[in-house]
Amino acid sequence: MITFDRVTKRYGATVAVDALSLEVPPGKTIVLVGPSGCGKTTSLRMINRLIEPSEGKILLDGKDVQQASPAALRRGIGYVIQQAGLFPHRTVQDNIATVPLLNKWGKDKARARARELMDLVGLDAGMARRYPHQLSGGQQQRVGVARALAADPPVLLMDEPFSAVDPIVRASLQDELIRLQAELHKTIVMVTHDVEEAIKVGDLVAVFRPGGHLAQVDTPERLLGAPVDEYVADFVGFDRGIRRLSFFGADGLDLDTGPVLPATATAGEAQRLAVPWILVTSAERRPLGWISAAALSRLAAAAELAGAELAPIGHTFRPGRDSLRAALDATVLSRTECAVGVDADGAVLGVTSYERLRDAIRAAEEAADAAAAGP
Amino acid sequence: MSWPLVWQYTLANALLGVVPALLGLVISIPAGVACARWRWFYAPVLSVTSILYAIPSIALFVVLIDYTGLSDTTVIIPLTLFSLCVLLPSVVDGLRSVPPAVRQAATAMGYGPARRLLRVELPLAVPVIIAGLRVAVVSSISLATIGQLIGVSSLGYLFIDGLQRSFPTEIWVGLFLVIVLALVCDLILIIIRRALTPWAVRS
Repeated sequence: MITFDRVTKRYGATVAVDALSLEVPPGKTIVLVGPSGCGKTTSLRMINRLIEPSEGKILLDGKDVQQASPAALRRGIGYVIQQAGLFPHRTVQDNIATVPLLNKWGKDKARARARELMDLVGLDAGMARRYPHQLSGGQQQRVGVARALAADPPVLLMDEPFSAVDPIVRASLQDELIRLQAELHKTIVMVTHDVEEAIKVGDLVAVFRPGGHLAQVDTPERLLGAPVDEYVADFVGFDRGIRRLSFFGADGLDLDTGPVLPATATAGEAQRLAVPWILVTSAERRPLGWISAAALSRLAAAAELAGAELAPIGHTFRPGRDSLRAALDATVLSRTECAVGVDADGAVLGVTSYERLRDAIRAAEEAADAAAAGP
Repeated sequence: MSWPLVWQYTLANALLGVVPALLGLVISIPAGVACARWRWFYAPVLSVTSILYAIPSIALFVVLIDYTGLSDTTVIIPLTLFSLCVLLPSVVDGLRSVPPAVRQAATAMGYGPARRLLRVELPLAVPVIIAGLRVAVVSSISLATIGQLIGVSSLGYLFIDGLQRSFPTEIWVGLFLVIVLALVCDLILIIIRRALTPWAVRS
């Protein structure tokens, strides 16, 4: 647990951080986000005393960080920075082994630990003896994360860790971080200027405004659903309503099984349903394709749907795994205005409609608002 | 002109080239660390080394004869002072070439200032420092020949002896040997740099 207790940092007359009070629960990821000059990086660096506060206290598990010696404090806190900041004169394994070696583990034990971490962060063991300049940006950043985790610190600080890599690599590093965190349960404080990144990786997001003020600390879903003011609403972006749907499961959708027929059904049966589109499924209930009312009218009433020409189903979604956002997206993209929900085996559960989506979204928002309002 | 004697002069010249550069390095490392640490300190120190470099070597030799006599020391002291003019900036530039992110990472990993200097900053400054050392060694080898004017043995003997005896071949041999000596020392330093910096990017 990290606690900021009315922490202020001044540089001359400029206030970088203004009376910040914030609690980071243990085992959670909090992302500090805001425009440049909002004090987010200064706040991060005060935790491991790269910067000293002008006023106030920072407590790490109840202990004032000012009481510890800076070097000892820092060896207990992992640190990942932009562009990795690897030591160019040390091999990958010796970079990772930095803190264990400072803690006098001995070379063999430290290197064995380094190998373990390379495996954990998805680096090939063959890279152990390479130098940083021989790695790609994404690989360097993985080494940076491994180095920060080497001595198994309970706290990890990440200062714009993924901002120097291209978007595809960034997305994979973010996924990797989420996977690692699910396994390791570190207390992570991360700084970014990318609100998408904050919403993706954070359990909590702290939005700063210029002048070092904290505007809002909340779960990503609450931040999107209930920004405290216009500044936060603007900062999180114009399509926050849509993005918030990522946090609601599609299992809240009441899927329609009405317009679904097996391929063995006849055109006559299909026409009797009197709907514009019918989803045709295989014997295993896998979706085969859509058939329109117009196409049905050209078939003989006794003809099986199996022989008809079907329109493609587009992409499906899986309630229980995917979000309402995925269901909405699949619906928007479908020319039938319905998207197909399938189970883990790919069997059809039913289809969406805009009306059903609307009801599910309303219900999910009301439930979230009620959960946030009442204890 | 006997070859064993020429060999002796060559070795003496090598010594007068390498020793001042190494002494200069020993002085420049702490001075350079101080100049990199306290920036205001650098400009005045740099002026002092430039002024020292502007003093004609022969003038310094003559002044020093009163204190250190006609010994190697009389040549080594001025050449050491001259080498500072190259070595001090190279130590400072070397330390400044350490990327800020690397320095910050070292601090954040829990290195204290002294350990960070020894384990991270100085090792990373090695390529720039050795580049300066190469210039210092080569220029000391060349300047050392002037010491012959006050009787301190070096390949300079061949220049003076050749001049006095109107024997140009001896002067040419001297010149050739000075150049070869400088190239050999330079090559050795390149090999040392490669051995010390297996991590460096080779272009």
